[in-house]
Amino acid sequence: MLEFQRGSREAFEELFERYREPLYGFFRRRLNSTERAEDLTQETFLAVIRATSRYEPQALVRTYLYGIALKLLAAERRKRIRNAPPAQSGAEPLVDDAQDDALWVRQAIERLGAAEREILMLREYEQLSYAEIAEVLRIPVNTVRSRLFRSRMALKSFLEPEVKLHDAAAASGTADCEAVTPAEDEV
Amino acid sequence: MQRNCHPIEREDIMAYLDGELTAGPAAAAAAHLEGCQECLRLAADLQSVSQRMITWQVASPASGVIPRIAAALDDRERVREKASTLGRRAWRDILGMRRWSPYVISFASIGLVVLLVSMTRLSLYREAPHPMDISSGPRSQVQSQAPTRSSGIDKLSSDNYVLDFGNRATVGGVAQKIGDSLEINGSMIVRTAQVILTTTEFDKDRARIEEILKRHRGYVGELSVSNPSGTGRTLNATLRVPADQLESTMAELRKLGRVASESQTGEEVTQQYVDLEARLANARNTEKRLTDLLRQSTGKLADVLSVELEIGRVRGEIERMEAERKSLANRVDFATLNVVLTEDYRAQLQMMPPSTTTRFRNAAVEGFSTMVEGIVSVVLFLISYGPSLLLWGALLFFPVRVVWRRLRRDPA
Repeated sequence: MLEFQRGSREAFEELFERYREPLYGFFRRRLNSTERAEDLTQETFLAVIRATSRYEPQALVRTYLYGIALKLLAAERRKRIRNAPPAQSGAEPLVDDAQDDALWVRQAIERLGAAEREILMLREYEQLSYAEIAEVLRIPVNTVRSRLFRSRMALKSFLEPEVKLHDAAAASGTADCEAVTPAEDEV
Repeated sequence: MQRNCHPIEREDIMAYLDGELTAGPAAAAAAHLEGCQECLRLAADLQSVSQRMITWQVASPASGVIPRIAAALDDRERVREKASTLGRRAWRDILGMRRWSPYVISFASIGLVVLLVSMTRLSLYREAPHPMDISSGPRSQVQSQAPTRSSGIDKLSSDNYVLDFGNRATVGGVAQKIGDSLEINGSMIVRTAQVILTTTEFDKDRARIEEILKRHRGYVGELSVSNPSGTGRTLNATLRVPADQLESTMAELRKLGRVASESQTGEEVTQQYVDLEARLANARNTEKRLTDLLRQSTGKLADVLSVELEIGRVRGEIERMEAERKSLANRVDFATLNVVLTEDYRAQLQMMPPSTTTRFRNAAVEGFSTMVEGIVSVVLFLISYGPSLLLWGALLFFPVRVVWRRLRRDPA
């Protein structure tokens, strides 16, 4: 990042290659639109380019990038709430091409509280440490720890019915997709 | 899971699995996990949740160069080039020793040329006649070339430079005349002289100093007169006279009285002036470039404001350097002459001794004063030490009386 701040275009290209996919994944898991996820990923890098002169190496580049990404995501959500009709302002529709298991996980995650969900996703998908999550979300590390534990326990309980059905299907030797459907309705 | 059954918290198990514990607690957690089935189950649950979450994967974004980002990078590079054109980035790079830009090399070249010119002038100055002779020698020669005035620094010949002092502050119209005609052969000298005189006609000489000053188109920088008892009066004056009038002014001042001491100094400021001119020219160029940039700018408001801020800073520097240049030119144009005029002290002789009556009266007054002084001293002593004396007297009175009586009895 410092190399890029000094004017090295190659440094930015390396930064872009390294973080493009993780940032896209960050937005893709939180938004329903592939295009918007792609756009916001680009917006994140554009914000980095624009703010290069003000950058100070106080934290990891990763933390810096996810900090920008979270702000863009919050702005995007505010915009959606303003623009969308009241009926559609709730949960986003599911992805059509999602696999069953991933679908279950996603549904379970959506049942978590917003704060706990964000911490869990930053930990599991973005692989941020407790301290990095605390810095990005501007909350104490102990809060991160306790909320992460609660969210994992809650997610486990949400996934349990599916686990039982899934295990039963595995035991019967068939991948019965129909068995998942009632549980989905419960969610 | 009860808290009192387990030496570590459940959250610690999670932190251990996430690699967030330090060495000590991590070892404790590992040891506990080996023997506790309940905590092992918790660890397995937590790992299971993580593994389940990993199943939610997203497809990779389309690869390739993104035009928006490429365009933003190009814009940024253009802005950086503009900034270095303004000199800001170049100066930052110089200070940070980050990279060498063509502008840095240009500045270094200008500095080298100025240094070489200064060194050449310095060597010429050393070979030239004494600075004090400049008014009678080279200057008269140069004054004949006065109509060849030009702006800035022009090379007259291989050895001579003409310095234009242009718009200098005027004092009684004199400075303008000198500024128009003064072209120094090579060197600019700030001249300072001091004369200490002793005179018997203090009042007349003071008036004469003012006349001399008026005749030579000078002015008083500072003047003070002191009149202490027991010695003669002293006049301290700082006079500013045109540099070419310094010798004649001093010659006339010497006639006012006996010269106790005299000194002259000359300070070479050519290099300083040339440096100042060069820096001023650079600053003006920078200001012009910034103004052009501002005129042509179609960028953001923030960019415009930053350019305006830079223009303000450069303008401030130009004004400061112009003031410095004027001050320097004034010091060269007008020599500083310190004059100390001391009056010969004549002690007054007392011809008549005091009368007898006066002496009696003085003696009576002194006697009365002495008596009053004595009484006051005794009273002050008693006030200061009386209480302590009384205390000790009271304490010692009876023991002393007993001892005294025994001593008197024993012989009997």
